[in-house]
Amino acid sequence: MTDAPLLDVQNLTVRFEVKRGWGKKSYLYAVDDVSFQVKRGQTLGIVGESGSGKTTAALAVARLVNAHAGTAHLDGEDILTKEGEELRRMRRRVQFIFQDPYSSLNPRKRVSDIVREPLDSLSDKSEAEKDKIVDELFEAVGLRREQQRLFPHQFSGGQRQRIGIARALATRPELIICDEAVSALDVAVQAQILNLLRRLQKEYGLTYLFISHDLGVVQHMCDSIAVMYMGKIVEQADRLSLFNSAQHPYTQALLSAVPRVDHPGQISDKRILIPGDPPDPSNLPPGCRFASRCPMVQPACKTDEPHPREISASHQAACILLDQAE
Amino acid sequence: MALLEVENLRIELTTRDGTAPVIDDLSFTLEAGETLSFVGESGCGKSMTALALMGLLPDKIGRIASGAIRFEGEDLTTASPARLRDIRGNDISMIFQEPMTSLNPVFTIGEQIAEVLRAHQGLSRQAAWDHAVELLDAVRIPNPKDRASAYPFQMSGGQRQRAMIAMALACKPKILIADEPTTALDVTVQAQIFDLLRDLRSQTGTSIILITHDMGAVAEMAERMIVMYAGRKAELGPVAQVIRHARHPYTQGLIACVPHLHDVLTEDRPELFEVPGIVPALKDFGQDACLFASRCVHVTDACRSKRPEPVTFDNGQIADCWHAEAM
Repeated sequence: MTDAPLLDVQNLTVRFEVKRGWGKKSYLYAVDDVSFQVKRGQTLGIVGESGSGKTTAALAVARLVNAHAGTAHLDGEDILTKEGEELRRMRRRVQFIFQDPYSSLNPRKRVSDIVREPLDSLSDKSEAEKDKIVDELFEAVGLRREQQRLFPHQFSGGQRQRIGIARALATRPELIICDEAVSALDVAVQAQILNLLRRLQKEYGLTYLFISHDLGVVQHMCDSIAVMYMGKIVEQADRLSLFNSAQHPYTQALLSAVPRVDHPGQISDKRILIPGDPPDPSNLPPGCRFASRCPMVQPACKTDEPHPREISASHQAACILLDQAE
Repeated sequence: MALLEVENLRIELTTRDGTAPVIDDLSFTLEAGETLSFVGESGCGKSMTALALMGLLPDKIGRIASGAIRFEGEDLTTASPARLRDIRGNDISMIFQEPMTSLNPVFTIGEQIAEVLRAHQGLSRQAAWDHAVELLDAVRIPNPKDRASAYPFQMSGGQRQRAMIAMALACKPKILIADEPTTALDVTVQAQIFDLLRDLRSQTGTSIILITHDMGAVAEMAERMIVMYAGRKAELGPVAQVIRHARHPYTQGLIACVPHLHDVLTEDRPELFEVPGIVPALKDFGQDACLFASRCVHVTDACRSKRPEPVTFDNGQIADCWHAEAM
């Protein structure tokens, strides 16, 4: 095993065309110059509010939306330039678990066929081998063999998510992207699925890109975390540094906004309320994108774009205040 | 006398499999100015309780089979539809989960708030509109004069939820029922909404019934809580006591199965506590047994054969469990 990351994303940019009328068009930069790495067997969490670009970044890595610029290397091979048969072979190695277990399973297929589908389209295994793999997968995710003949509507939400996980595991991928994989589930079922994901990670040596807005879940699941705001990564660190000594004002506000159970009845005096809503993503202000809501805003924030700065070997944040502290 | 007293409430839903008690023998009280929280997984009857209080049970499907809901001494279960209409929005009002689907998309926010005032307080068109603008200001919507003419689709999720709160508070209700008010919102916006609700409560003295599945939200917002499971009360008590030492295994499970954020994080990451299985189907509700038995680690024969009696503790905690004292 080497120290090189399994997934290495550099300067990834994804933009969408927005029609402005009268033949004019402009671009919405959903992901803007984002870089991150995930080591083999580890979990990188991407957190952020809705619209921050975390899902789009993951979709670009899975080649489900087209990137505008940047590179993404899986084990040294560039994902973003692959086409045809090479792309098909790459898809075997990167699989996706979706948020909503109700809409991500085809209601007209038996669940054994749903789990088998990636094998049919991405592998060249024999039918007997596929049967055996499907049997093993059902056991691995905690479903019974006789349930294979059923249709998705005959399962509960948690069971459906297990089917989604089995499908993602079918081609023995190295990287699995979990996009809000537990957000639609009740808390008790969520715990079952989180434990399952961690067990599978150990058993199969999986690497996860774990996208979530729930900081408690991310704290539990991830080895390192990237915080996104309006298409940019504002802070990136290992688990302990991020949760114990967050540097960026947005991360601090985000962490302080989560209700705690430690001290019932009293509101944390560390709570940082950030007012207002994020700016319009198709018409971003110059300078720092968080400036309009930041409690520590400086005049320079509205003109100069902050650049990521190293705080320690495994901790970076992009904020002008950190530059000034030097 | 408590502001609201619910006594042995039983609500039955008629389904294809027959009638099932979706709320089974529920009793609680709500004092003026208090925040009471209902917690539980989906399908445990939290929202049904809220709908029953509002007199909004689905017609022909749901009905109050027995029990009483006394609001300031008046029994709402026997009140006429006209009287209920008078109370709804005026004395008891509700904030729904999804602000996009519960606002009318073809009317402006201002019109929708003004409608409440005109219906219940008989204000003139102009007076109602002016008051609506004041309300939008009270829920901290920037530039309320202009925003009153905005349609719901022109606002962000957080602003829509603020508009909903403004509408619910228009007639200064005595009880505000908030059904998962922040589930659809981002966490920083959730903090803003909670902050707003707390301020409004201290200004107006409104009682709040907060329905949620988030134990953190309960810890932050409520004084007392009721844990619901399969249509029944599992545990009731002061929030601090229940969270510190839950007496019902379901409550313990609900608290332990969520990865909470703590003040100082350590390297340690144990497996999450699992409550196996799922909430029973509606047709299995109402049996004379503990409905949690199939998922419980402390289960004994008594649990499977008889519905547990409530056990009351000195600190006000009540747990419906045969083994509550040993927990």
